[in-house]
Amino acid sequence: MIELKNIVVKFGDFTALHDINVEVKEGEFFTFLGPSGCGKTTTLRTITGFIEPVEGTVMVNDQDITHVPIEKRNIGIVFQSYALFPTMTVYDNIAFGLKVKKMRKPEIDRKVKEIAKKVDLSDEQLQKAVSQLSGGQQQRVAIARALVTGPAIICMDEPLSNLDAKLRVQLRNELKKMQKEFGITTIYVTHDQEEALTLSDRIAVFNKGYIEQIGTPNEVYNFSKTEFVCNFIGDINRLSDEVVSSVKAAGGEVDPGKHNYVRLERLHVNVEPEPGQVALPGRVTMREYYGLYIKYYIDLGSQTLKVIEKNDGVRIYEEGQQVQVILDPRDIMAYEPGEEIEVGQ
Amino acid sequence: MNRTLDKKLQPELLLRVFGVAFFAYLFFGFMLVPCLNTLTSIFNAKNPDGTSAGPFAVIEFFLAGTMGRFVWNSLKLALCLVVTVNVVGTSLVLLTEYFDIKGARILRMGYMTTMIYSGVALVTGYMFLYAGDGVVTTALKNAFPGFNKDWFSGFNAVLFTMTFACTSNHMLFLRNAIRNIDYNTVEAARNMGASPFKVLWKVVLPTLLPTLFSLTVMTFITGLCAMSAPTVIGYDSINPEIVRLAGSTPADESFPQARAALLSILLAMFTIVLLTILSAYERRGHYLSVSKTKAKLQKQKINNPVWNVVAHIYAYVLFIIYMTPVVMIILFSFQNYTAIKRKQLDFGAWTFINFYGKQDYTYQKGSGVTVTMENSITGVFSNDKTLGGIKLSFLMSAIAAALACVIVVVACNYIFKKKKSKLSGIILEYALLFPWLLPTILICYSYRIFFNNNVWYVGGQNLAYKENVRLLIIMAYTVTKLPFSLRMIKASFYAIDDELQDAARNLGSSGLRTFLKVKLPIILPSVLAVFALNFNALFTEYDMSATFHSSNATTYAMVIQGMLADATRGANMNALGRQCASTVFIMIVSGIVLYLVYGVGSRDLGERLEIRKKRRERWAKLTGRARKASAEKEGL
Repeated sequence: MIELKNIVVKFGDFTALHDINVEVKEGEFFTFLGPSGCGKTTTLRTITGFIEPVEGTVMVNDQDITHVPIEKRNIGIVFQSYALFPTMTVYDNIAFGLKVKKMRKPEIDRKVKEIAKKVDLSDEQLQKAVSQLSGGQQQRVAIARALVTGPAIICMDEPLSNLDAKLRVQLRNELKKMQKEFGITTIYVTHDQEEALTLSDRIAVFNKGYIEQIGTPNEVYNFSKTEFVCNFIGDINRLSDEVVSSVKAAGGEVDPGKHNYVRLERLHVNVEPEPGQVALPGRVTMREYYGLYIKYYIDLGSQTLKVIEKNDGVRIYEEGQQVQVILDPRDIMAYEPGEEIEVGQ
Repeated sequence: MNRTLDKKLQPELLLRVFGVAFFAYLFFGFMLVPCLNTLTSIFNAKNPDGTSAGPFAVIEFFLAGTMGRFVWNSLKLALCLVVTVNVVGTSLVLLTEYFDIKGARILRMGYMTTMIYSGVALVTGYMFLYAGDGVVTTALKNAFPGFNKDWFSGFNAVLFTMTFACTSNHMLFLRNAIRNIDYNTVEAARNMGASPFKVLWKVVLPTLLPTLFSLTVMTFITGLCAMSAPTVIGYDSINPEIVRLAGSTPADESFPQARAALLSILLAMFTIVLLTILSAYERRGHYLSVSKTKAKLQKQKINNPVWNVVAHIYAYVLFIIYMTPVVMIILFSFQNYTAIKRKQLDFGAWTFINFYGKQDYTYQKGSGVTVTMENSITGVFSNDKTLGGIKLSFLMSAIAAALACVIVVVACNYIFKKKKSKLSGIILEYALLFPWLLPTILICYSYRIFFNNNVWYVGGQNLAYKENVRLLIIMAYTVTKLPFSLRMIKASFYAIDDELQDAARNLGSSGLRTFLKVKLPIILPSVLAVFALNFNALFTEYDMSATFHSSNATTYAMVIQGMLADATRGANMNALGRQCASTVFIMIVSGIVLYLVYGVGSRDLGERLEIRKKRRERWAKLTGRARKASAEKEGL
């Protein structure tokens, strides 16, 4: 469907994208994930045509669109700010692209009402100014406007970042539902790992203009290819040399020459260790109560490990309490030091 | 492929070439060349016989003669104004926004009257009240026979008038600044034991300093370039002298043109230095509130009863000073000729004649013969001269205000374009800001002298000749309004989110369509506001009108000044009544303009739709009620 081949983008002397290669399948929900300034929006804007690469090609359905003007690419965009025209009503916003295409009025009317119904906008809301709508409703207008012209692909640039946490979660679900309903290939840009993990079929993790890993949410989370991905996705403990030595001394398979990481939920407190697992004695120094789960900070002497335990209401440990942290060496993700710099080149 | 590209490029290239040519023509033809001509004319003074007086003759004349008096007088006025305007302006803002003064809303309205009542209308209004035979002076003279009836003259009168005329900026900008103060900082200071006056001195005033500094510089420039007050009241400052010299010939006095040029260049130098200081100060940055949850400023009670009474008395005395001219002029505009002549209100002499209609004037000569002067009493809208002035000013102001807006919108559209050279945008911006560095009088004087010849690039025409001068005034109006228009409209362009343009492009919209359908509607309220403010300022503009004054270009401001002169000479029966009515008319026009700009113009689409909806509901309710009533009637 979409194929980016050896894309290089430069702004003056600064290289924003280094040899980007991505393939997005038809109907897929594909996410570009990464911290600010990593190149994810630049890649999106290269696909939409706002930025022209100095090298490489952008292919859609096997056709080279690298130099095709923006308006002829048939790609809809939902902007971060939604970019709704403030001087137009909701109806006029959605109808804008159709009017540009010089469609007849009855057809425009039919199409606008049809798409409005699909994104759950009422006739009354269509006559309102965009400023009179809530954030969630504005997002629906932006989606309707992007979809009404019948694009082959829809690109979304952090469309939930302007919303409060609760609404973000609610709209995330709606977005996924809508994407499934329309069956449209979607490219989604975000720096929010949770958003990427919950929404995407596949994720490309960006860092400093390179793609570090492309994979399903499970692959990216549980089998992070690079130290950067492992650090960026979710919370994690990097094991100190002392802890690594203890694990090794207890017969665990671990390479002290590498950077060793373990996710918080893979550690357990005060459970009976199974064969192969290692028990590390420590003291609870802090406890964060989240309701669904509890996060403990456990001082092992050489380092403090973070551990997440499901809140069962019974096994709750007090600050100062002596406990044992149970670690399975198979859960350790190990990386060569400095690996993150080399990856992608 | 290349051919298609060429076809596409041709109109764009043509448009670009035309744009560059137009802005170059505007900058060189109507800004740089005329002003350079003025500068060089200083060193090209001529004797009455046409021979050269030497390159430094004017400078020597300046150093040896009395010309320095005008500079000193202007500087004195500017310096004194800085003190008086800041004291009065700051106290107006503190009294209405910071301290808890009873009736602050009414006081604020009174203090803001200068926004609809300024310029020559205000000066002539003050003359109507405070001159030797003015309303207030006459009343004071009647009450206190020893009262000096000529108290309102010269420097003191100019200073008094301009002090109260120049506080509008304080009421706009300082008020905004004080409203932006985070009240939590005041509370924190109070919590640490500071008294209200200590808080004012140590917390509030320091945050206002940048605004006060800007206002000080602007006030200084206003004082230096004062025109209407010194001319009408009579004070020898630079601007009136330039206008006088511009109308003089070498036969009357030594090289008047070169002297006028020297004075206007001196004024320009002062202005440039002051604006440089201002911009350097502004670059240092303002105090920014670091508060994320700013609290609204609460009014401070003056706990000391004596100070509280003093503050109230001071506030209301200022209110009386501001309101007296307004109220008196409104009242006298509805009084008949006799009452106005006597400068005493006559509650049995109300009339609309000063506004509309004509009347005969009948009087008895010493010999007992009754003389009737037919239609010698006329209203503003029935007097040909006044109506002519209104029409001319209306047209010229509207054209110039619109031209300035169009030029600036086109320029801003280019400046904010993404794919262009950065340098060309900067050059264009500075070219349009250029007139800001020059005093209005320098531009006008330069036009008057330079275009009083057949200039090749204006079709070989003499633009100062006969009715051509109207074109020259329009150009001067336009050029002088470019910097203000640019600053305001440029700010509105910042409000256009880049993503809006991207969205429009993505939906297939062309550059022109995006401009017309997306960008223009966003900036339109600001553009219309700038148009209205430009129009408002130009409609009764005095400085340029006085410089270009001729029988072919008598603007409304000159007509108003003429009314005062007529009244002083005793000519033209109800000149003063018409002057009062004119002022009322100006107040109404300005009031409407400000309402449209700040009231209607500031509403967004959502607010407009809401109002429309409410109006429809009200109408439906009304018609529903009417229908119900008629149905009930029919039923009966």
